[in-house]
Amino acid sequence: MKNRKSFFRIVSIMLVAVLALVGCSSSNDSGNDKEKSSEDQVTVDIFQFKVEIKDQFEDLVKVYEDENPGVKINVKTVGGGNDYGGTLKAAFASGDEPAIFNVGGPSDVEEYRAYLADLADTAAAEAALDGTLTAVQEDAKVLGLPFNQEGYGLIYNKNVFEEAGINVEDIVTFEDLQNVVETLDKQKEELGLDAVFALPAKELWVLGDHISNMFIAPEFNNDIQEAYHAETIALEKGDELKRYLDLQNKYSVQPILSLDYSQQVEQLFSLEKVAMIQQGNWVYNSVYDMDPDFAENGIGILSVPVEGFEGHIPAGVPMFWAVNDKKDDKVVQASKDFLDWLYTSETGKNAVLEDFKFIPAYKDYDAEKISDPLSKQIYEFAEVGKTIEGWVYQATPTGWNQETLGVNIQKYLSGDMEWDEVISKSIEKWEAERQ
Amino acid sequence: MRNRDISFWLFLAPVILSLSLVIMIPFLYGFVYSFTNWNGINATEFLGFKNYINLFKDAEFRASIWFTTKFAIVSVILLNFLGLGLALLVTQRMRTSNFMRTIFFMPNLIGGLILGFIWQFIFISVFGSIGELLGIEALTGWLSTTATGFWGLVILTSWQMAGYIMVIYIAYLENIPKDLLEAAEIDGASSFQKFKNIIFPLVAPAFTVSMFLTLSNSFQIYDQNLSLTNGGPYNSTQMVAMSIVKTAFTENKMAYAQSQAVIFFIIVAAVAVTNVYYNKKREVDM
Amino acid sequence: MKKRKRKSFLIEIFGLLLALLWLSPFYLMIVNAFKSKRDIFTDVLGFPSEFVTENFVKAYIDLDFTKSLFNSLFITILSVGIIILFSAMAGYALARNKSRLSGMLLLVFVAAMLIPFQSVMIPLVSLFGKADMLNKTGLIFMYLGFGCSLSIFLYHGAMTGISKSLDEAAIIDGANKFQVFWHVVFPLLKPISVTVGILNVIWIWNDYLLPSLILPDSSATIPLKMFLFFGQYTKQWHLALAGLTIAIIPVIVGYFFAQKQIIEGVSEGAVK
Repeated sequence: MKNRKSFFRIVSIMLVAVLALVGCSSSNDSGNDKEKSSEDQVTVDIFQFKVEIKDQFEDLVKVYEDENPGVKINVKTVGGGNDYGGTLKAAFASGDEPAIFNVGGPSDVEEYRAYLADLADTAAAEAALDGTLTAVQEDAKVLGLPFNQEGYGLIYNKNVFEEAGINVEDIVTFEDLQNVVETLDKQKEELGLDAVFALPAKELWVLGDHISNMFIAPEFNNDIQEAYHAETIALEKGDELKRYLDLQNKYSVQPILSLDYSQQVEQLFSLEKVAMIQQGNWVYNSVYDMDPDFAENGIGILSVPVEGFEGHIPAGVPMFWAVNDKKDDKVVQASKDFLDWLYTSETGKNAVLEDFKFIPAYKDYDAEKISDPLSKQIYEFAEVGKTIEGWVYQATPTGWNQETLGVNIQKYLSGDMEWDEVISKSIEKWEAERQ
Repeated sequence: MRNRDISFWLFLAPVILSLSLVIMIPFLYGFVYSFTNWNGINATEFLGFKNYINLFKDAEFRASIWFTTKFAIVSVILLNFLGLGLALLVTQRMRTSNFMRTIFFMPNLIGGLILGFIWQFIFISVFGSIGELLGIEALTGWLSTTATGFWGLVILTSWQMAGYIMVIYIAYLENIPKDLLEAAEIDGASSFQKFKNIIFPLVAPAFTVSMFLTLSNSFQIYDQNLSLTNGGPYNSTQMVAMSIVKTAFTENKMAYAQSQAVIFFIIVAAVAVTNVYYNKKREVDM
Repeated sequence: MKKRKRKSFLIEIFGLLLALLWLSPFYLMIVNAFKSKRDIFTDVLGFPSEFVTENFVKAYIDLDFTKSLFNSLFITILSVGIIILFSAMAGYALARNKSRLSGMLLLVFVAAMLIPFQSVMIPLVSLFGKADMLNKTGLIFMYLGFGCSLSIFLYHGAMTGISKSLDEAAIIDGANKFQVFWHVVFPLLKPISVTVGILNVIWIWNDYLLPSLILPDSSATIPLKMFLFFGQYTKQWHLALAGLTIAIIPVIVGYFFAQKQIIEGVSEGAVK
């Protein structure tokens, strides 16, 4: 009883305090109080998707703020098992719009068209490498600036390959790959492997975006814009896609449907339990965290054999920076200035190469400084023209890649759907969306 | 206080204002918009029942309703069984019964989202490694199939809510007159007979209360669903609440999502009204 | 008699084992929160090979915990305070007005409980967005709307135990309606206020979906921040578990101090 009394007293005191607070608290916590900040101070809200560079990016922003005292930059990084796109949509719907945000390609451009500032007059747009702007170019307008380049393929464990007596140069066609996989599988025990592959079928972006892209892009001549305007899709290379999926599934650590990226890269590949994984240069940091020595010396990347494109690596721009045109002119200008500084100033360039470990999408970078072996290799592929440009999955009907094709592939892999149905249902959905 | 007293309305003003702005108006708005092509900002044409027709054709939505229903039924049975069992256990005369009460109730206080993340770790990593150690295939690959995802959700919510249902049963158990039980004991009744003839009939109303609570809770679960399986694999463990959120805020189909929300309301309200009706009927019968 | 003793001893042992099983998820969380990433992958069940306290430091910083704790506290205390005050006022007014109208109003409030949140979520966000109210203030106002129904119902029920003669005596002494409520009735409603407070605190403190749609990042509460560790590509279990542990601590502390009231309050709220 006594207890109750004092408990209640505390509650009532809190209440009174709280009610006193109400009056003075609610006036300044709204999401858009830019007008209230002092006259010469500009606030730029950035909303970016790359979790991997969160800390490094925030550090760099601090440097920029020190150099430009009149600018305040708030960075929000949305990783989250929930997707960036959804969170961004919610932010726009709620009026809490960022000044700088990320768009993936033509579909996003279409969706946010009303908000996209023309960036053609920026130094960064000038410096962007040929072909990196296709996805966001309209007539003379440039509606986004490339983040970086990324490439993916089969990342392999050099030590295991060596021990098994495999020469990477010999892997050209799909049959070659199949033979190598079988060779490795026979020696699993001696090599200390759980399996040859780790196929993270839990991740829709691996199935729907990356794997599928290699077998869809040729149909549209590797051209994003062409895919974006296509009313239908034939999935000509469907059988090849199936063959490739079956191979990975058969020789993968099971069960694949609960296997996620973290298990694939950190647990299985970094601890040398599998010989190969299909991923891109972005895994380097994760591997490095687990085993620095292995990351620096033990991994390489080889191309996925797609008929007609053997020896090529799909490389492209995963995301673009966009500037919100609806903000004050001052804010728009400050946003452009920041992006220019990020990609064209010495400080920015260094951070892009050494802290973010990006493969730059801009001119005048010292390729020697690319710090990790995977990015270096991909850059080399690019130099000799052995890349497949055009990440067509950014130009499919919204959500089609992951929610339709990816989900159907998941169903196929778990035995709930026949392959023919995967193909027909995905085509059907594409056509329905593009009507 | 009379109706025409200004003070009567002043006392009610804050809640009437908030209830209408937060629930009533949005509810009516949503109902109207579910018949249009609303995109969250504006609506340009009236579609009649088109959204609803598409909804009934939508295999994924039907699956989510079915999944939610199954989940609700299994949860209700399991939770009441667990809740009553725990209540009987902690009302025994024991030194540690208070301690037990505290422990069993604890998961309730923590948000479903946080608990979902903890269990995700347990199902994937801990189950996996126990399975490997003991060579039990069934323990590996949890949450990778629809079935394990389903049972994962059931286990999580049962563990979370059992203590809550236990507390309700305790309230009723403590109202059972002691002398009744003592008399039965003197007459040589076994524990089972006591349970069957005295405890169970007197605790029956608690069953109705907790059945309603568990049903409406299981139908509306979202947080746990999000953090445990996020609907995977291939959206097969997606419940109705999640389907609405995803359709609205990920796919941006506001009107279509709103029509799902209207159907959802009809189901939840039907469950509740049935429940109230039965309660009233039983009270009359008594 | 001896047989009975043994039986109750066995029941007690069984109960304690069950309680341990109940606690095991928390144990697994804490043990693994002290491991390095590598350790978690190689040995989940064992003790940490070395205790990594750094996880907690990093998780604390990532969660921006001081700020998110403040946000959570601010929103919860304010919302619950407002719900208690306004619902008690409404419950009092409805109970003291014996007309058909007030019966109708009470029915409307109870009926509003039937509407699930998801059914009003989309228009709610869009309407409040238009009014530029997607912030803490708007959120607190929404909590009043969603929380008042049950609270009014509880207060209305408790009013029956408070005799009208008290009001009348105070009126004769020259008090106005609000003074009567504040000085005479509200103090007598203490027990039910505790119940209402507890029920709403548990709900608002842990709520995820509504604030995730409403709050700008600068006022994110603890549950909203939890997603940080579950990046789109990487799951940082060692940090996530440490973060989850940190997030649970305030709840456990609160539970420790007021467990009796909490259990009583919850049972009262449910049984009514």
